[in-house]
Amino acid sequence: MSSSTTSLLRTCLRSSSISRQATHGASSLRALHTSSRPALNAAQWKRSSASAWLQPRQQSILANRTRHMHTSPALAHGSVTRPAPGTGIKVHFKDAKGEHLKTIEANEGDDLLSLAHEHDIDLEGACEGSIACSTCHVILSPSHYDLLPEPSDDENDMLDMAFGLTDTSRLGCQVQLTRDLDGMTATLPSATRNMFVDGHKPTHH
Amino acid sequence: MPPVKLAVVGGGPSAFYVTSRLLSLLKPSEAPSFRVHMYDRLWAPHGLVRYGVAPDHPEVKNCTNKFDDTANDPRFRFFGNVNVGDTPLTSIPHTHSLPLRSLLQNYTHVLFATGCTLSTLHPAIPPSEYCVPALSMVHWYTQHPSHVPPPDLRKISHVSLIGNGNVSLDIARILLTPPHVLEKYDVPTSVLDVLRQSAVKHVSIMARRGPLEAAFTTKELRELMNLPDASMVPLSSSILTSAPEMTMTRQQRRTLELLQKGSKNAYGSTPKTWSLEFYRSPTGLTPPTSSSPLAQLTLAHTELDPRTRRAISTGETSSLLTSLVITSLGFHADPQTTFYDPSLGHLRALAGRIISSSGTAIKNIYASGWSANGAKGVLASTMMDAYAVADIILSDITPGEKGVQTTATSSNPDMILSSEFQLNPNPHVEDPPLEILEGLKNGTVTTYDDWKHIDAEERRRGEAMDKERERMSWSDARTFMSQRAALH
Ligand SMILES: Cc1cc2nc3c(=O)[nH]c(=O)nc-3n(C[C@H](O)[C@H](O)[C@H](O)COP(=O)(O)OP(=O)(O)OC[C@H]3O[C@@H](n4cnc5c(N)ncnc54)[C@H](O)[C@@H]3O)c2cc1C
Ligand SMILES: NC(=O)c1ccc[n+]([C@@H]2O[C@H](COP(=O)([O-])OP(=O)(O)OC[C@H]3O[C@@H](n4cnc5c(N)ncnc54)[C@H](OP(=O)(O)O)[C@@H]3O)[C@@H](O)[C@H]2O)c1
Repeated sequence: MSSSTTSLLRTCLRSSSISRQATHGASSLRALHTSSRPALNAAQWKRSSASAWLQPRQQSILANRTRHMHTSPALAHGSVTRPAPGTGIKVHFKDAKGEHLKTIEANEGDDLLSLAHEHDIDLEGACEGSIACSTCHVILSPSHYDLLPEPSDDENDMLDMAFGLTDTSRLGCQVQLTRDLDGMTATLPSATRNMFVDGHKPTHH
Repeated sequence: MPPVKLAVVGGGPSAFYVTSRLLSLLKPSEAPSFRVHMYDRLWAPHGLVRYGVAPDHPEVKNCTNKFDDTANDPRFRFFGNVNVGDTPLTSIPHTHSLPLRSLLQNYTHVLFATGCTLSTLHPAIPPSEYCVPALSMVHWYTQHPSHVPPPDLRKISHVSLIGNGNVSLDIARILLTPPHVLEKYDVPTSVLDVLRQSAVKHVSIMARRGPLEAAFTTKELRELMNLPDASMVPLSSSILTSAPEMTMTRQQRRTLELLQKGSKNAYGSTPKTWSLEFYRSPTGLTPPTSSSPLAQLTLAHTELDPRTRRAISTGETSSLLTSLVITSLGFHADPQTTFYDPSLGHLRALAGRIISSSGTAIKNIYASGWSANGAKGVLASTMMDAYAVADIILSDITPGEKGVQTTATSSNPDMILSSEFQLNPNPHVEDPPLEILEGLKNGTVTTYDDWKHIDAEERRRGEAMDKERERMSWSDARTFMSQRAALH
């Protein structure tokens, strides 16, 4: 490695520590959200919910996620009951580049985070839907966003820290489906690939 | 894929998120000889999630369910009570020390995820009877294995916190929350006993810059505002206006709104109070005298340099009488860790790789989380960083392989095979170093299975007391483990 690259490396290293300022503003926290497979797939999710390691509070959170009753003829999908094809509420999931990932059909009352996990869509839920993190941030189609009740203060506090926040951002765990949301699009947020250091520009494939 | 046996140093969230990503992307059928061994100097896993996150934030700890899933993978092993390094850890005498050389001889790859385990101190007010670093408070209320003595809250009426980050607000909240609210959480009985005798009436939270530069996040500020028995001293409106030319971020706007609204309880209507003091920087602390039972904290008044947005002194000073000063200025990595760079305060790392002192990336040695980036960011950002580092590791161990998709950068930097830090390309497939095998035999090195039994027992003891869990110390845990062994 040339000495100029060496000194560049050193400069990058320095700037990463000096820029502590950058950590508090949501907009300046640059993140990398990349994935090729779901981090927590439906099977793991079920396994963890069945785990005896969970404390009661956590069990009830998980129970809430599978509690919702179906309103139309139902088909079993794993342990969760799914609407018969053509009868559910349609939600289109898109990746950060806007490319279509999957269209799924949901029951009334389902939330986007649980649905994503059930259908192997890579949306994290580090706090398991208790509004204590921002990992399930999604961007909704504006017309559907407007139909939702206002986010709570708690949800807004977490959105403050979300990566790639937009005007139609919500936490997936807080979006509960109703009939009039049929046809909604949920896009995973875009975030830059490099969060290691300021000034380090990765080359893309 | 050639055999890959990865040693992960540190067992906090960064270590677990990297590991979980690697194990889920490398299916056993594609990489049958892939193994991960994780080491932590503490006997219990999960780093700051167990020994940092405030007890009244139980939801944050839900991430450990995912860590448990990761630990269930048969390719994974955890070894607790093992400090990787050449110098013994004096703060925790029962911990084994495993020289780095030993690790290098037994693994093909090493990841450092050792966090930032030490408090940053203030040059003008060193630790003393009247000044403690934030970590001492956090270690006390989480019953950290370093066994810090409890603060004598019976004698403390006024607390001054220096710095207004989330750690500072965590400490303020624990001191201002009625103990009967805290007792259902994961707060050790001995800690509750001290809190029940607390004489604390006021907590003053100081920062050298203004409300728009505050380091806390809205959620933590709101929690203080909503405390049942405490109220905030209202802020003067002159401090709560922003320059008209300035465009605020969403977070800044919401913080200002919250500060203008003030606490839920009106100031003066509660037994305890708290205040945010902006534009103040400590310059010295005078201990109490026979005539004045409180210590005297001298503060320089500051303002923002409009160009650099740093705090500069206005030349004015004032003083404040206080019982205890707690400095909460952030954290740095342990200087004993190999690759520590004193000018950075953390390990010398770039884009997930450890960098040699000459500036080149060292092959097959990686760093992630707070140890690589410094003590900044919440779990969500630690997770994002961990996934990026996992992708870098994958791009090294499965170069050009189909089936394993990573988003790592395609151009790898110049790398050296360091002669000083040489790994073993063909180590024993399953075994950890000999010292560890010994420690496992005599029960001084813990496994994840040990932890799950202790975890279940802590919850069981907690349930009997109507609380989330009752924590064990290492000696409690050892007694429990040997009783268990005798029964089986
Ligand atoms: C007091 C406090 C409260 C926090 N609360 C929250 C919160 O409520 N919500 C939130 O989102 N984030 C919170 N955070 C931030 C969060 O904890 C960090 O983002 C995260 O823990 C960083 O993960 P890490 O794995 O890099 O470091 P750590 O969690 O520090 O893990 C590092 C591990 O490495 C081990 N280790 C160090 N050196 C060695 C060695 N030589 N050999 C073996 N093991 C070693 C340590 O024992 C430790 O277990 C908090 C941070 C602090 C300090
Ligand atoms: N609930 C949560 O989500 C949670 C809880 C705890 C921690 N965390 C995260 O963990 C990270 C670390 O938190 P932290 O509170 O330790 O650190 P922090 O957010 O970096 O705050 C440090 C504070 O100390 C001040 N400071 C630093 N050096 C100083 C000096 N020499 N003199 C005077 N003031 C000084 C800073 O002021 P300046 O800005 O002027 O430098 C700032 O107010 C943060 O990213 C935090 O969000 C999150």
